[in-house]
Amino acid sequence: MVVTNEAEVVEAVRDARESRRTLEIVGAGTKRAFGRPTHCDDILDVSGLRGIVTYEPEELLLTVLPGTPVTEINELLAANGQRLGFDPGDWGPLLGARANSGTIGGAISADVCGPAAVRYGRARDQLLGYRAVNGFGEAYKAGGKVVKNVTGFDLPKLMCGAMGTLGALTELTFRVFPLGERCEFFSVHRIGAVEGYAMLRRAWSSPVAATALCYQKGGPSEIVKNISLGSVHIRLEGAQADLDEKSRLLQLCAAPHELLPGDEAAIRVIGSGENLADGLEDVWRVTMPQAFAQGCPSSLGDWAGGLHWMKTTPGVDPRPSLAWSQGSATLVRASAETRKRAQVFPPEEPARAALTRAVKAAFDPLGIFNPGRMYKDI
Amino acid sequence: MELAPPDPAILARRTEIVAGLKALVPDGVVSDRAGLAAFDGDALTARRQAALVCVLPRTKEQVAAVLKFASDNAVPIVPRGAGTSLSGGALPRADGILLGLSRMNRILEIDFENRCVVAEPGVTNLAITRAVEGQGFYYAPDPSSQIACTIGGNVAENSGGLHCLKYGLTTNNLLGVEFVTIDGNFVRLGGKGGSAGGFDLLGIVAGSEGLLGIVTEATVRILPKPPVTRTLLAAFKSVPAAGQCVADIIAGGIVPAAMEFMDRRCIEAVEAYSAPGYPRGAEGMLLIDADGIQAEVDDAIARMAAIARNCGAEVREATDEAERTRLWAGRKAAFPAMGRLAPDMLCMDGTIPRRMLPFVLARMAEMSEQYQLGFCNVFHAGDGNLHPLIIFDVMKPGELERAEGFGADILKLCVEVGGVLTGEHGVGVEKRDLMPIMFSDSDLAQQQRLKCAFDGAGLLNPGKVFPTLSACVEQGHMHVKSGRIPFANLPRF
Repeated sequence: MVVTNEAEVVEAVRDARESRRTLEIVGAGTKRAFGRPTHCDDILDVSGLRGIVTYEPEELLLTVLPGTPVTEINELLAANGQRLGFDPGDWGPLLGARANSGTIGGAISADVCGPAAVRYGRARDQLLGYRAVNGFGEAYKAGGKVVKNVTGFDLPKLMCGAMGTLGALTELTFRVFPLGERCEFFSVHRIGAVEGYAMLRRAWSSPVAATALCYQKGGPSEIVKNISLGSVHIRLEGAQADLDEKSRLLQLCAAPHELLPGDEAAIRVIGSGENLADGLEDVWRVTMPQAFAQGCPSSLGDWAGGLHWMKTTPGVDPRPSLAWSQGSATLVRASAETRKRAQVFPPEEPARAALTRAVKAAFDPLGIFNPGRMYKDI
Repeated sequence: MELAPPDPAILARRTEIVAGLKALVPDGVVSDRAGLAAFDGDALTARRQAALVCVLPRTKEQVAAVLKFASDNAVPIVPRGAGTSLSGGALPRADGILLGLSRMNRILEIDFENRCVVAEPGVTNLAITRAVEGQGFYYAPDPSSQIACTIGGNVAENSGGLHCLKYGLTTNNLLGVEFVTIDGNFVRLGGKGGSAGGFDLLGIVAGSEGLLGIVTEATVRILPKPPVTRTLLAAFKSVPAAGQCVADIIAGGIVPAAMEFMDRRCIEAVEAYSAPGYPRGAEGMLLIDADGIQAEVDDAIARMAAIARNCGAEVREATDEAERTRLWAGRKAAFPAMGRLAPDMLCMDGTIPRRMLPFVLARMAEMSEQYQLGFCNVFHAGDGNLHPLIIFDVMKPGELERAEGFGADILKLCVEVGGVLTGEHGVGVEKRDLMPIMFSDSDLAQQQRLKCAFDGAGLLNPGKVFPTLSACVEQGHMHVKSGRIPFANLPRF
């Protein structure tokens, strides 16, 4: 069913409650192939909850409806010299869906964060408040609409990455960030993972405040024939005078390698994993402490090595081979068959799994929303 | 605000509870009256209450054992770090165990490669920076009490500080915790790589005010110290002019490292206390830091100085590091400086949209007349986080009630203009009864259900944050242990 305002969401959820039916929450539908397959009785189409509620550039605050396309938000913010700090990439191509059509609610629910998150933090760090309808059929709000707030539990954090299993979002408030006056891109090619990640970590621990610190294994064949080599891609932002100084400092981090002019496309690709779209392999996102990055058999590394995209043979779980890295892996792209059998989200030890179950029950005791999308029964 | 009466059934079991705890932490049980007096409250000084007993574990295993004991015996637990909470978060209960974590004060690991520090909960905030500054790093959240307050308390309260606007609160600098549930089970949330996958329980634990569990280890991010910091002091002839200056700076796309406001009364008090060189006679002042690389700091300072002058300010810059330190020490001492002017103070903590600053400041001046109580204003202007300090004397009949009424009206005003009750101090007992101003019944019900998910029996820091007892039974979560209903003597539903 299609809903266009919060009252209709409440009504839809109350109906589902009474008739004991389950709901799959769908925005643009670009991430339906992410998560465990869920077979719901009905679709709750929230794409009509679309639009900017308030945007106050001087307060660094943006309130939107969850069905608003991310591209629309990016354009609005850019026109005002601002940006979403968590920099959500477009997972459409990777998941076999349309490009540039994902919604902000989907990005939040799937915890989609891109390169600039290395500087500004993740979605969880920027969702200040929200409204939603829970599994009791009650509309409620959480958090606030100011940049600094500790009143009550920080429920907005819980909504980020919850895959819609805790309720239907109806409004989102973000803290936004100024966009640098100018942007400059730098690359270093033909560099191995050990050296490349060490360079990124030096930049990460320096005051250049880069808004992208990426490593790509392989790369264009005319540049790199040897697959064990790759490229470093870095983005710096600021006024021209800042950039002159920052690029000097960055060169110190890069030595003895020479920084070359880079390009925006490489960073966008790493942010969205879109060049992994081809082929039938499973695609995983792995987070780990930066210092272990060079040992990760990933093709793309982001956040100075804190985040990786890697491909595996269908059905093969890379977690056992990554145990040494204190990493945490999520299966982003795989066939429905694989996602049904695999642990899509990181396995939980019993004490934590008990909390996960209890939290789900606190929001959606009947299991109305996206049941089984994260874990069995969650 | 009324505190619930203690449960006589628990008071009657005091001797056995003390003995039980002594068996678990032989060298760390405080049960004599004089000893308990040292722990009878926190920085919400108007409220005092001796605990049933205080236990000071040295190890996480002891923490888990204490929690299991409390759970098995249905005794409330009140966690405490250094007791610097301004909202009464660590206020003991006459029928509760006070769990003091200050003896768990070891830094467990410093990892520069991964830019993080792993610490026990009793390590002080400042000790983390002290441990890494030799290598050019620091821990960003810096509450003014940082010399005393603990990282465990910071996690519980999601503490802020002077540099939040640019660097975030505790939660934005927290990568992981080891956490003990009320049943005594250990759970690891996040780690050196941050929180990842599954529900973001780490995000929920930060700022949960001791209602969900006890943190026994925290992993926090450290940042490279900015190479250049410059400090501006702008003196204004009127408070609204200062408010306008703040709005113009933020709208100009500048994110200062810190931007603090003080009003005339506060300036006078601090000058009398430590003479940092504040502009006597000004109606308000802003103390502003820009940090980063030279070029970007120079640019930000030039632009902010121009904006301030445009708003009619007299602007000067700290000439050297010694003056910078002195100016900031004055700001961090605002609370004790004001403390010399009155026997008691109530420090409020609402956050408002920055554009509402002039309006809210004017309304507070009117309220001060109405309540016949003095106050002064010092606040984190960059993020709109107000700290009005209400001056009163608890010994004068009716003044505490008037001060609390004044404070409540300020917070109502904050919510009315689109803000919140607390920006960084927490709800605790102080703002507990004001929660319904900001949150509807269904908003509060959802939060309370989350509480029940972690602590069905309501043993963790009961009486804090929520105005009424959570009715876990509504969703079948009522926890009945050994046939005892928790707080059987309290009215329900």
